[in-house]
Order: sequence, then structure tokens, then C-alpha cells
Amino acid sequence: MATAAVRLQRRTVGVRRALAPIADARGMARAMLWTGAGLTLVFVLLAIFAPILSPYSFDAYQSGGHRFAQLAHPSHSHLLGTTVQSTDVLSRIVWGAQTELEVVGLALAFGLVIGVPLGLLSGYFGGPLDRGAVLFMDAMFAFPPLLLAIVIAFLLGGSVNSGVLVAAFAITVTYVPQYFRVVRNHVISVREEPYVEAARALGAKPFTILRRYVFFNVVQNVPVIATLNAADAVLTLTALGFLGYGVQPSQGAEWGYDVSRAVSDAASGIWWTGLFPGLAIVLLVTGLTLLGEGLNETINPVLRRRRIARVDFAAPSLEPRSEILEP
Amino acid sequence: MNQTGPSLKRYAITRLALVVPMVFILLTLVFLLMRVAPGNPVSASLGGHAPPAVIKAISHQLGYDKPVYVQYGHYLGQIIRGNFGTTISDRRSVGSIILVNGAATLELTFFAMIVAIVVGMLVGLVSGRFRDSPVDTGGRLFGIVVYATPVFFLGLMAQLVFGVWLNWLPTSDQASPITQALLQTHTNIYFIDAIIDGNWSALKDVVEHLILPATTLGIVYGGVFIRLIRVNVIRTLKEDYIEAARARGINERSVVYRHAFRNALVPVITVVGLQLALLLGGAILTETTFNWPGLGHELYVYLQNRDYAAVQGIVVVFALVVVAASIVIDFASAFVDPRVRY
Amino acid sequence: MHVRPRLRYLAVLGLAGFALAAVGVTAAQSKPLAASHSTANTILDGTTDTVTNVDPAGNYDYGSGTVDILVYQHLLDLNAGSTVPAPSLATGCKANASVTVWTCTLRQGVKFSNGDPFTSADVKWSFDRVNKIHDPSGIWGLISNLKSVTTNGDFSVSFHLSTAQSTWPYILATGAGEIVDHKTYPADKLVSNTDVKDLVGTGPYTLSKFTPGQSAVFTPNPNYNGVNGKLANGGLIITYYSKSSTMKLALQQGTIDMAFRDFTPTEYSSLGKTSGVTLYKGKGVGIRYLVLNVKRAPTNKLAVRKALAYLMPRQDIATRVYHGQVIPLYSMPPAGLPGHVNAFGELYGKTPSVAKAKAVLAASHVKTPVALTLWWTPSHYGDASADEFSEMQRALNSSKLFKVTLKSAEWATYSKTLGTQYGAFQLGWFPDYPDAEDYITPFYGTKSNFTSNGYSSKKMDAVIKKEEAAKTSAQRIAFIKQAQMIAAQDAPIIPYWQNTMLVVGRKNVQNIPKTIDLDYLMRFWLLSKS
Repeated sequence: MATAAVRLQRRTVGVRRALAPIADARGMARAMLWTGAGLTLVFVLLAIFAPILSPYSFDAYQSGGHRFAQLAHPSHSHLLGTTVQSTDVLSRIVWGAQTELEVVGLALAFGLVIGVPLGLLSGYFGGPLDRGAVLFMDAMFAFPPLLLAIVIAFLLGGSVNSGVLVAAFAITVTYVPQYFRVVRNHVISVREEPYVEAARALGAKPFTILRRYVFFNVVQNVPVIATLNAADAVLTLTALGFLGYGVQPSQGAEWGYDVSRAVSDAASGIWWTGLFPGLAIVLLVTGLTLLGEGLNETINPVLRRRRIARVDFAAPSLEPRSEILEP
Repeated sequence: MNQTGPSLKRYAITRLALVVPMVFILLTLVFLLMRVAPGNPVSASLGGHAPPAVIKAISHQLGYDKPVYVQYGHYLGQIIRGNFGTTISDRRSVGSIILVNGAATLELTFFAMIVAIVVGMLVGLVSGRFRDSPVDTGGRLFGIVVYATPVFFLGLMAQLVFGVWLNWLPTSDQASPITQALLQTHTNIYFIDAIIDGNWSALKDVVEHLILPATTLGIVYGGVFIRLIRVNVIRTLKEDYIEAARARGINERSVVYRHAFRNALVPVITVVGLQLALLLGGAILTETTFNWPGLGHELYVYLQNRDYAAVQGIVVVFALVVVAASIVIDFASAFVDPRVRY
Repeated sequence: MHVRPRLRYLAVLGLAGFALAAVGVTAAQSKPLAASHSTANTILDGTTDTVTNVDPAGNYDYGSGTVDILVYQHLLDLNAGSTVPAPSLATGCKANASVTVWTCTLRQGVKFSNGDPFTSADVKWSFDRVNKIHDPSGIWGLISNLKSVTTNGDFSVSFHLSTAQSTWPYILATGAGEIVDHKTYPADKLVSNTDVKDLVGTGPYTLSKFTPGQSAVFTPNPNYNGVNGKLANGGLIITYYSKSSTMKLALQQGTIDMAFRDFTPTEYSSLGKTSGVTLYKGKGVGIRYLVLNVKRAPTNKLAVRKALAYLMPRQDIATRVYHGQVIPLYSMPPAGLPGHVNAFGELYGKTPSVAKAKAVLAASHVKTPVALTLWWTPSHYGDASADEFSEMQRALNSSKLFKVTLKSAEWATYSKTLGTQYGAFQLGWFPDYPDAEDYITPFYGTKSNFTSNGYSSKKMDAVIKKEEAAKTSAQRIAFIKQAQMIAAQDAPIIPYWQNTMLVVGRKNVQNIPKTIDLDYLMRFWLLSKS
């Protein structure tokens, strides 16, 4: 019991230490952090309370036996107009938030669960396995991410029925190499730190060292990457939807698909079916990016502290890579 | 400097040697991904029309019913001989697709990259120089919002505004039908073909067609550069030699413009290479939005036809370009910035 | 240490790389139009169709077919305004008593675009190579009944068939019967799309430049014999689009003069209201239908299939999804073709009836609501498929008799699976030739049914067999009508709409209505431009 309490305490101290910079954040970083958090929160709330907030269901085409007009201008009964299927644009955006966040959440979870342990093990143990893994991940990295996602979505589309799962897997595959890379590189630098050496000298088992010392040190950077990747994942998901490989319309509302359907409306001067879902994407991605950048600036001390930095191409540490990685 | 020589050489050799297994992994991945996916080119083109027995017979004729490892061996054998094969859906040699449509992608990405770098440099340098000022806030926000905008959405809006409402610019294709019919193709890069022929009206037409797609793709990726250049300017302004320059009494303007900015641009080169992967991904969306006959556009079409040869060829080329670019960029950074050691 | 970065060199290097790459990709040079060629009278068309092969032996798709009828002629052609094959390169064709040998007399004095004379050797060559090449995307399936072609002198050929075929003249008018020059086409290999100098035919145009996926440039064929109508313009350029929205913008901006196939319903109705362009409309022969698997639950029960036939919301789909651009269809052969009968209309009524559907289910003690999965495919039949199927789902669910789940699969998977796994699924059909037979045999014949829905009926097979060997047109039509009634009673397939032929042209293009008929062929040579 005592050890559990100590462990808990140690963990909360760790968490508090990790969170301390957020409270300390100043100026631009603070503004970005809070704006981003605010925007993201809005969409999270939309997603959670979609059934309450949305005027209609995402596939509703009538209300009280009265059929909605097709491609109706924004009006009182439909604040953002209706689509070619007579569905309400606003409702599709609200329900769309749910789809986007579901997919992105799943993709992030899968990506972390696969990428982080792989990176930890590969970085810590090194050897031929590490080299092989790096080579493989580098090969994956050479694919344009969207391309990889399209091929995977295509591949799974035939066998997995849930569009959400298919999209989540497709996105996961594109991000695993990134987590792997970042975590592995960081582990390699942490591995040689004196306290790790000391633990090793004291006879700690590798997994204990990994769990106690390396993991917590490395994992601090994960929220930044995860948030920025979440932003990117939304873009990938909507791109999949736009190309017709994402969540199918009968399974849920998805903004990218809605924009793709709106393409034929736009040429006819019907702007509301494309503009609003498009703006929703921009806002959510902006929110996530601001949040990520804000976190980055607060947690990542490089830009705060005065320090003689050298552009080092040889052994990329997390910091310059994460910039490269971020988009 | 003379220390750099041998180690750079060794680095170069390792780097190049690693390309071989990497390409092998790529080829294998693409092959497997395509074969595991249900359906084949025959069902895609004849399904819904021909009886199953006929589809089966043709699949057999083309060898699609052989075990995967046999097909894989055959595929590798062909690739080693430099033969990427022929498409099933329209009988084009994949080599010519890569040349002809690749030229279109090259044209688009080249100009998009220029737009991205120009936008990124302008906003990034100013933002970094006037750190934490309102200009900086605006610049950063611009960069983030622009990056958060899906290419296809920006493209759609650009078509709506400049094509439908203002009617200023063409919204699709590489050139107008007449230009396409009349222009002699030397390189398949219309921009250069028009110059070679001294056909100025065609050049004007080609440039007009380039503006919307290249700007759309370029602006979106400019967001990446804005962020990067800004950070680099901030970092460079803190470097010792900048301090030293200041200490020597060189005026601030000169310090900033002659020393800091130039050095801040060096790491950008690295990113240009890494961005290529993203840019090519974005090109798929831009090309489908603007009916631009590039590789991404073709890939989209061939993927739907499940055209193995074409998809494999295009994907491998994309990946190779990215790998090659990263190698070239590595060497280029070493060349530009001799501080880089390996 | 401060080293001056050599950025300038790098910029120069980058540019040089671009230029080098440009020089490196010098490939497939094609000859442009002659400089003297006037573009003023050249028609600029846009399409979302694609071209598989221009060579007639290597294609079986509409986009390639559209190119081919411009470049090649047939022994018999479907001329404007008639669905009956009329003399073209042949002056007439006759069958023997058992309808197994067809003999055609050829037109004399015809020349190919390169000046080669047209003789019976070209005819034999053309048919033989379709079978010999046996291209995976080829049309050889249509002439599988052809045993051999024999020539009797320079201007007569005989087609020897394995079994009686009364519709052979129609086959001669399809892509399988396009006549090529035996001197420029190899017997066992396709001519590549870009080798335009070898793609020689007798039709109104010659193909002078082809850029795959981008454009096809046609110039007038100086040796055209004029049999299919006078060439009324100075040339044609077809631009290929992958998205109809960009094609619509190009049309509105005047980049192209006209567009044929295909816009979305929203775009068509918007174009119908746009000033400066005209939407021309006529009945079409493309149809859409729902295939029901007779071996899988729940559609293995006849009552369930009948209930679906009673409930099919044809009019709602036609007006709400397609804005009247399609017409409700009540039998497989579309209205307008000889032999069409209003089979489903007679048996199940023209409008949906929940009461009758309920009654037929109750009579067979089927528990309602029946759980039913409808399969559809997103892009192959256009984006509107999504809307079409949600409309269907809405109608079926609101009857309270069905509980419909929609599932979709992308085309390559979908087309491979069909009835082998799907219980109820969407398909479309475009005929090989405008005859009712082509809407019966491929769907209902036990051996020829390609949908894998398990339908097999001895009664139907017998009727089809009699139809194929019919001596007179009237007899044939009678069997066709019988087959449609059996099909409606068994309801293994529910047809629900037929398309219209829609062509959009700017005001400067004339004579578009001349080519709109049930042949569904775009005869560009009849159009003129001012």
C-alpha cells in the first residue's frame, strides 16, 4: 500500500512538473495555447453533445412529415442551408465533428500504442533489429503520407465494414513511423544520460530502466507531437473523404466527403454546401495546431531559453526533427 | 575543411548503399498492398458486364491467378530489367506515364515550391525579425491557418472566386485544348516546350493555367516554411557570430540582412527535401481538383481501375523521388554549410 | 565560426536540375496540327469518359467507342435517327435460310485515310484480329458466335456463325465490326493509342494527336466517303476531364464549346438554366436496376422480391435525385426500343403501393420488418448513387415493411463480388447494340447471366433460345415480350430508371439535336460551329 502511494505521489509530482510550464506560459505561447485549447474544446463539445446540439440527425431529410428542400439557401429553419440530399448542413457539421474526432482519436491511440513501444525498444536495445526497423520505417517515411493512407484505406475498404475503423487504420499507418522516429532518437540520447548509466550500473533490469527512467523522459514530448499529428490526421481524413476513400456517407457525416459533394454545387454558384464544412476543417485543424504549437513552445525549452544551438544534421535530436515533423 | 572530405565520402557511400534495401522494401510493400486488396484489373474493367467465367479466363490469361510469390518474382525480375510494365486499363507503358505525366507533376510542384518558398521567406523572415510583435502574431497565425486549410478546399474556393465569379483564370488543365493540340511537345513540360518553340501565346496560356493550381498548392505548403524560417531566424539571431558581428559594431540592418537571414535559410533546404513527400501528397489533391494531368491524378484514376502496373510504378517513382531528394538535400546541406559533419 | 552559405549556387543548381529533368523526359513527340489548320471551325468537346484503346480490337467501353465511330466505319452503321443498321461500307447483308451464314456485298471505291483501297481483305483482317488478339479489354465476347470469315472476291464477305443469330447485323454495327486497314494493323497486336499515323480508318476524321488522359485531336479525313452524313466542321478536339465540376467551369468559361457525358444531376439542372449554353435532351438507352439474389435470404423468397417491386420509389428517384434527367423504367429494355413492354407497371403498378407490398408479405407469412442490406458503389455510377440509395432506403424504411442497411464497396471490389456475396445490389447497363435482346440474355439466361444472383428458369431459357433463332423481326419481338413478362413475375431484377441522352452546347455549336436518338452515339461530324 505504501509503495503504491509513493508511486502515485511520484507520478503526480511528475505530472505536475510536466504541467508546470503550461502554467508559466507567457505572451504568444499562452495565447496560442488557450485559443487552441478553446477551439478544440468547442469541437469536442460539439462531438459529445451532437444529439442535443444538432437541430436534426446527420441523415435526416424530413421533420414532422415535412420534407426539407434540396440545396436550400441558409434560412431560419436551416441556418447553413441544405445539401443535395436535402440534409441540413449545420447538422452534418455538428455530427461530422463526432466522426472526425472518433477517427483521429482512434488513429492517435493506435499510432501511440504501436509507435512508442517500438521506438523505445528499438532505441534502447539497438543492434541489427534497430537498424532493420529504422530502414523499414524510413522506407515507409518515403511514401507521401496521403498516398499510403489511400492505399491502406483502399485495401481495408473491402474487408472492414466500419468506415471509421478503416480510416483510423489508414491514418495510423502513416504516423507510426513518425512516433517511432521521434521516440527512438530521443531514447538514444537519453540512454547515455548519467542517471540511466547509473541505474544500469546498479543492476536495474532493462525493462525497469525503460519504464522508470526512459519512458517518462521521452513521453513528455509525445503530447506535442500527438496534438500536431492530430491536426494533420484531420487533414488526412478529410482528404480521404474528399477522394471517396474515407467514411462512407451512409455511415456518418464527414466533412471531406461533404466538400467533395459540394464541388459540383460550387460550379453552379451554390457556396454554402462547401464553404461551411470546409471552414469547420480549417477551424478544427487551426485549433489543434495552435494547441500543439503552444504546447511545443511551453514544454520545449529551446525557444525560451537562451542557448547556443547548432544546426546538427548528424544526430538529429528531437528538437529540430519535431519541427520538420510537425506539418 | 579537409577533415570533411573523407568522412563525407564515407557517409555518401553508406547513404547510397542503404538505398538498395530501402527500394527493395518499397517495391515489396507496394506489391503486397496491391495484391492483398480485393478485386483485380480485370474485374474492375469487365465486372458488371462480362460473365464470371470470362473474367476468370482473362485473369488466367494475365497470370493473376498464379500464387502471389510467383507474381512477385516475375514483378521483381521485370523491375530489375527496368521494365515497369504496361497498364491494363489503357495499354500505356508505365515508363511513358512516368515521363509524360511526371513532367506535369514536375511543372506543378516546381512552381508550387517557388510560391511556397517565396511566401514562407517573406512572412517567416519578417515574423522572426520582429519576434512577438503584432506583425509576428499575424504572420504566425497566417501560417497556421493556411496550413490548416485543406488543399482541395482552398482550390475549390479559388475556382469559385476566380473561375466562377470573377472569371479571370482558367480553372482546369495544363493548357487550353487548342494549345494542347498545337504545341509541339519536346519535354512534356508545357512551360519549357512553349519557350523552346518561342510560342509566346502558348506560354501565356500555360502560365495562366498554372497560376491557380500552383498558388493553391504553394500557399498551403508556404505555411510550413513560415514556421520553420521564423524559428530559424530567431535562433540565428542568438548565435555567437551574430553577437560577435554586433560587438564589432556592424550595424544592425547589415547583421540581420547579410548574416542572420542567410544562415537562417540553410536548414530550409533540408526541409524542402522532406516537404517533397508532403508536397507530392498534396499534388494528388491539387491535381484532382484542377484536372491537372500529373502523376497524382493518374494514380487516382488507376487506383480505381486497380491497375497494378500503373499504381506500382507511380508509387515507386514517388517514393524514389523522395528518397533521392533527401540524399541530394543531405549533400547540398553539406555543400552549403561546411559546418555539417558526418 | 561563420561561413557564408553558398545559397546562390544552390538556387542555380536547382534551376539547372529542373531544366535537366525537362530535357531528360523528352519522350513521345507527337506531330501538332498543321500550322495552316484553322481552329475557328474546330469543335472543342469535353468529356469525363476515358479511352482504353483506340484500336477497335482492344476496347469495349463507351469512351473508346466514341473515338472509334469518328475514325472507323462498319459494314452496317446506325445512322442518325434510326435504330436499324443501315448500309455503310457494305451495300447490303443477307442471311441464309438457317440464319447461320450472313453474306455482305461491299461498297466499291472506298479509300482509307492514308489512301489504301478498302477491300474484303480488310474486313476479314479486322474481324480475325479481334478474336486473335483476344485482348483483356477487348470486345471479342460479342463475336464469340463467329466461326470464320470468308471472302468471295474483293467485294463480298461471308460470316459463318456457330448458332443461328438473327441480330448479327447489329453486331456488325458495334465496335466489334469496325474496319481497319490490313496494311497498318498487325494481325496479333494492338496499335498503341499514341501511334496515330497507324490508326487508319475510313471514317469522317483521322486522329492526329492523342495524349492519354488529356486530349484527342481529330482532323478531317480527306478520303471520307460521306456515307454516314456530310462532315460539317473543320476538326474536333476532345478534352478528357476526371471531374465533371472542372468540365462545367471550362464550358461556362468557353474553354470548350460543348460537353457530352457526364455531369452530376445538380450540374445538369444548373446548366439547363445557364445563359449561353443549351441543354439538349433525348431518350437514352442506359438503365439502372436492382439485382436481387434468389439464393440468399431474404430475397430468396419470391414474396420479398415482389414486395420490393411494389415499393420501388421510381418517380421519387427520378425527380428528387435526378431532377427529371432519368425516366422511371418498368422493364429491362428501355422504353422506345421495339419490344419494350410495361411489365412491372402492369404487374405491380406504376406507383409504389405499401398496401399491396404488405399483403404479398402477409400472404407468405413473412415477418416484417424484413432486414435487408442494399449494396451500392460510390463512384462508378456517379456521385448521385449515394443519393439514389438513400432515397430508396428512405422509401423502404418508411413503409415499415423493411429495415434497410446501406453498404457500399468501391468498384473493383464490388464488380468482382456481386451476387457471390451480395443479397441486393445496384448495377447499371449500357447496351452493346440498341436492341431489346441485349437487355434480356445477359441477365436472365442461365448460362449468360453475369450477375451471379442465382437466377435460372427453364421457361426463360426456352424463350431466349427461340428468340435467337427467330426468322422474322415480328417473331423475335413476340419472344422478347414474353421474356419480359416472365422476368417481371420472377422479379430477380427490378429495373428502375432509364437515362436520357444529355448534351450541353454553347450557342456557337449547331445541329446537336441531329445526333440525339436511341443509338446514343455522338456523331460529332454532323455538328457545325459558327
